[in-house]
Amino acid sequence: MSQPPKNPLFSREMGLSARFGLYVLASLVIAGVEARYDVLHSVRVGVNGLLGPVRVTLARPWEWLREAGDFFVIHGALQAENRRLRQEREHLLAYQLDRQALQAENRHLRASLELPRPPGVTPIHAEIMQTAPDPFMHRVIINRGSTQGLAAGWPVIDGAGLVGQVTRVFAFTAEVTLLTDKDQGAPVMNMRNGLRLIVSGTGTQNLLEVRFLGMHADIKAGDWLYTSGIDGVYPMGIPVAKVMNTSQAHGAPFIQAQCRPLGGVGRYRQLTVLRPAPASPVEKP
Amino acid sequence: MTPAQGTRPKHFLPKGTELVAPPTRIKVFGSLLLALALNLSPWVDSVRWLVPDFAFMVLLYWNIRAPWFAGLGMAFVLGLIADVDRGLHMGLSSLAYCLATFLVLSLQRRLENFDAFSQGLQVAPMLLGKDALVLVLGFWFGHHSIDWRWLAAGVVSALLWPLLAWLLDVLTGHASKPQPD
Repeated sequence: MSQPPKNPLFSREMGLSARFGLYVLASLVIAGVEARYDVLHSVRVGVNGLLGPVRVTLARPWEWLREAGDFFVIHGALQAENRRLRQEREHLLAYQLDRQALQAENRHLRASLELPRPPGVTPIHAEIMQTAPDPFMHRVIINRGSTQGLAAGWPVIDGAGLVGQVTRVFAFTAEVTLLTDKDQGAPVMNMRNGLRLIVSGTGTQNLLEVRFLGMHADIKAGDWLYTSGIDGVYPMGIPVAKVMNTSQAHGAPFIQAQCRPLGGVGRYRQLTVLRPAPASPVEKP
Repeated sequence: MTPAQGTRPKHFLPKGTELVAPPTRIKVFGSLLLALALNLSPWVDSVRWLVPDFAFMVLLYWNIRAPWFAGLGMAFVLGLIADVDRGLHMGLSSLAYCLATFLVLSLQRRLENFDAFSQGLQVAPMLLGKDALVLVLGFWFGHHSIDWRWLAAGVVSALLWPLLAWLLDVLTGHASKPQPD
């Protein structure tokens, strides 16, 4: 050993309790600053920039294993999948034609009503790297960051519907808060009757809820909820949830609706981040 | 090196203090880095909440075996890294780490003479309490939706302690300590 151990009883540095007190104070100051101000965000970004490459390196062996596993897929399985995908493609093409016709009609109608065009969005594809091990929030880390031009607040979707929202952006990664997080909400619209609602997470994996509905709100099991687009964060028309049942808590003057998220919250690996159109002021008609 | 170096003063440890391979800086920092790497590894989502905080366990081990290398400063830095890694409110883990290290350092003379298993029983409150403290502090700092499942990681780490302590004991030669008669 290069140095003999210090004897804590007779050392000339501060006592253990005093040093402990200092460190507790430092931790509390950091926590307090974090709670009130945003200055520690750059520290977080910096440290994450160091941890990011380590994480990627550590994930590499597992990816190799998975790729090796994928390599030995049976020929028959591939053929079956190919057939299924072909059918699906035909299906989608037909659907696309229909959609194009509808879009043309929509443009025409909007033009005749002189409504502003809905803001366009640019999709950025991303992949989930890992789930953030956080006991307080439902979050995932994706492999796109400020280098790819991401910014906090952008919506994240997958093939089936809304998944969440980008909440923190680092150099090469970003944190997405899932829709199921208790503090996360999305303004939605009931497709059946256009009723505008706010759907929020419950903190459990596969359940959303609409809290505080008026007693006579027209919502029932089987309704589809799509984003209404009135908040300016989520573009209009992204599928969000399907209502499973409505209930009234005992003695409460409200009813609640339990919904199942449509997007693969916590299921798939591939996601799409929607970059909102560059801010263009909406012309007043 | 002489046997007197690297050991505690004679009157505190009456027997079997000569270590075959005493803890060195490389061993301490190497094992801590390895534990950090385990923490940063991509664990499967469904078991993520069961994965113990390896860096914290190794830190407590070195608090017991080599307090002159791993003390409060190390706990503070590791805590901050854990906060950033987990995306937690900053300062929570560093506070919890420092408290656990403080308790272990205060009990260090007592803890270092136990075998891995009984040591595990005495360190268990720290291992369980760390996660509980982080959750409570998080609640206090305004994160009101708490997933209490994460307390299970503390139980797992308490169960894993004997194994980890034994492994590191082998590394530092404590395992081959002659049994007092």
